[in-house]
Amino acid sequence: MAEKRKYLPLASTKHLEKMMTRHYALSRYHRLWGKPLKRPLAWITSGAPVELLRAFNIHPVYPENYGAICGTRRVSAKLCQVAEAAGYSQDLCSYARTHIGSILRPDLAPMGGLPKPPDLLVCCNNICGTVLKWYEALARIFQVPLLVLDTPYLPARLTDHTKEYVLAQFEQMVVDLERLTGRRLNRRELAEQLARSSQAIALWKEIREFCKTSPSPLNAPDLFIHMAPIVTLRGTQQAVDYYRRLKEEVNRRVRQRQGAVDGEKIRLVWDNIAIWYRIFGFFKMFSERGACFVTDTYSGGWVMELPSGDPLESMAITYTEIFLNRSPDFRAEQMINLIKEYNADGFVMHSNRSCKPYSLIQEVIRRRVTRETGVPGLVVEADMADERVYAEEPIRNRVQAFLETVGGI
Amino acid sequence: MARYFLGVDIGSLTTKVVLVNKNGDMVARATGRSGYSGRNVANRLSNGLLEEKKLAPKDIAAAVATGYGRVTFPADREVSEITCQAKGIAHLFAGAGTVIDIGGQDSKVIRLLPGGKVIDFAMNDKCAAGTGRFLEVMAAALELEIQELGPLAARAREHCAISSFCTVFAESEVISHVSAGAPKADIVAGVCDSVAARVASMTSRTGLEPEVVFTGGVARNSGVVNALAKQLGCRLSVPEEPEITAALGAALFARDNAD
Ligand code: SF4
Repeated sequence: MAEKRKYLPLASTKHLEKMMTRHYALSRYHRLWGKPLKRPLAWITSGAPVELLRAFNIHPVYPENYGAICGTRRVSAKLCQVAEAAGYSQDLCSYARTHIGSILRPDLAPMGGLPKPPDLLVCCNNICGTVLKWYEALARIFQVPLLVLDTPYLPARLTDHTKEYVLAQFEQMVVDLERLTGRRLNRRELAEQLARSSQAIALWKEIREFCKTSPSPLNAPDLFIHMAPIVTLRGTQQAVDYYRRLKEEVNRRVRQRQGAVDGEKIRLVWDNIAIWYRIFGFFKMFSERGACFVTDTYSGGWVMELPSGDPLESMAITYTEIFLNRSPDFRAEQMINLIKEYNADGFVMHSNRSCKPYSLIQEVIRRRVTRETGVPGLVVEADMADERVYAEEPIRNRVQAFLETVGGI
Repeated sequence: MARYFLGVDIGSLTTKVVLVNKNGDMVARATGRSGYSGRNVANRLSNGLLEEKKLAPKDIAAAVATGYGRVTFPADREVSEITCQAKGIAHLFAGAGTVIDIGGQDSKVIRLLPGGKVIDFAMNDKCAAGTGRFLEVMAAALELEIQELGPLAARAREHCAISSFCTVFAESEVISHVSAGAPKADIVAGVCDSVAARVASMTSRTGLEPEVVFTGGVARNSGVVNALAKQLGCRLSVPEEPEITAALGAALFARDNAD
């Protein structure tokens, strides 16, 4: 029977909020300091090589992260409608629709939308093909340069040929950025950016690995909230400092055997982007029955270790090998390993209407994972930001049946 | 002494109640339209059972509720209908490996182990395709009673193709077959094929293990039973009263719980 279980908040959250508010406030007033400090503003995709941009003193902001914020504040559906009325298809990713809606109707958008106009757009198709068309639309709206990094899909391992192809584009991107910013690439600065990125990534990895203990010190909503700096502030000292603090707090929980979910009974793995508009409500259906999401493929996607060696080559490898750019076999093996390493009893896949590359092959992965681990998997249909697609009762029904299957009744 | 156990299944269209004794034998059952308040209907039905069996409320040792309205009913506990369905079917068919359930507003495929433990399930509940609701709409478009569909489908010479899964689009397909002069029997057979196709495709997600038991109100429709058996290429067992098996499972959980 469902019991009341408390949610245990992290003390670090308030530092996170301060840091993210500061980042967005700074970005918002970019027009005041950007020109005098010669720091152009770039809108970039989540899988873009931000370290290179930072080495050119470019200030990056992330429309996808903005989409997640709008989702959490439950204004996405309205902004999506604005984009749909302007002719964008309802089948387009809801981050794209939300962002385009926020450009068309800043009065409806949190913080009035992202600072605009951007000085340039940087798009890497390692996460999906959608971003290409989305950023082309942005380039048309603002008439600003668009830099594209094309990372071919990896059906198996990264080949030398692919690596060279991507590396050549990195070299061209350096030329383009030198022209656009009027600066030469400072290789030392780039190496430092990469070193700081690596530090933050290593900390994020260690924090996540603490969740192998039982009870797990973190649950999925914690992972989703505290991933913000690894996405948006990767390469900064702030991000490194923040993850040091978080690591300490999580480590303390482990030492005190403090679980994120009171009386953890069931350990689960999450697949796909968070359901932002129900970030707590959705997971409560699980936590009130003692089920904790101890790890996930989504926020874990930023544990992308940068190999040492030539910085451009290192980035070419890392950014091409992002998990969304890889085969169903790779994804299935990743899930199988997570289940084993984290000692999970089941997994839940969010079939996300928006994100086709993430969702389309889930059924194939689900069957293989269950076959090889004996652990059951549930698919729930929803959308990360557009809550018009979310049907609470059918989802609750499936979740309950699934937990009865995993944990017994 | 309390000796009986109550199972209540408040579904989107109908409510079912079942009473079992301490051996797990079904001693009484009743069904009714859920209407506006499934909870009231469930109360009325279970009071009726008590009267029929000359029992008092204190004779009921425990109650378990399932179905969409399960949280509204003051039972000792609530269990999802998937778990209850598997429990009920494992009780009636010891060798059951798969349950296909087509109810009013959803359809599901459940894979289970002997004893009723669920190993996987797939559910369609976001649209009316492949559900009882779909059949009701099509019957109305053809001015037929729902019970007439099965016998009529058996008389079909050719099966009309209904290709759309969407209830609204399928209804206009039916209407265009009518205006093209197709015999009602052929259209009905096509409608049954369409429901079966939708559900059969769900079995590819869960796998299909014999014995396959078909439950839910739609299992009374011989047109769908035959179409489904043909598409799956296997025999289907249908319980005598296919709509009450989840309520039976709930009653059995009430009994286990009290042990
Ligand atoms: S389609 Fe998926 S990967 Fe692409 S932008 Fe949308 S959410 Fe991100």
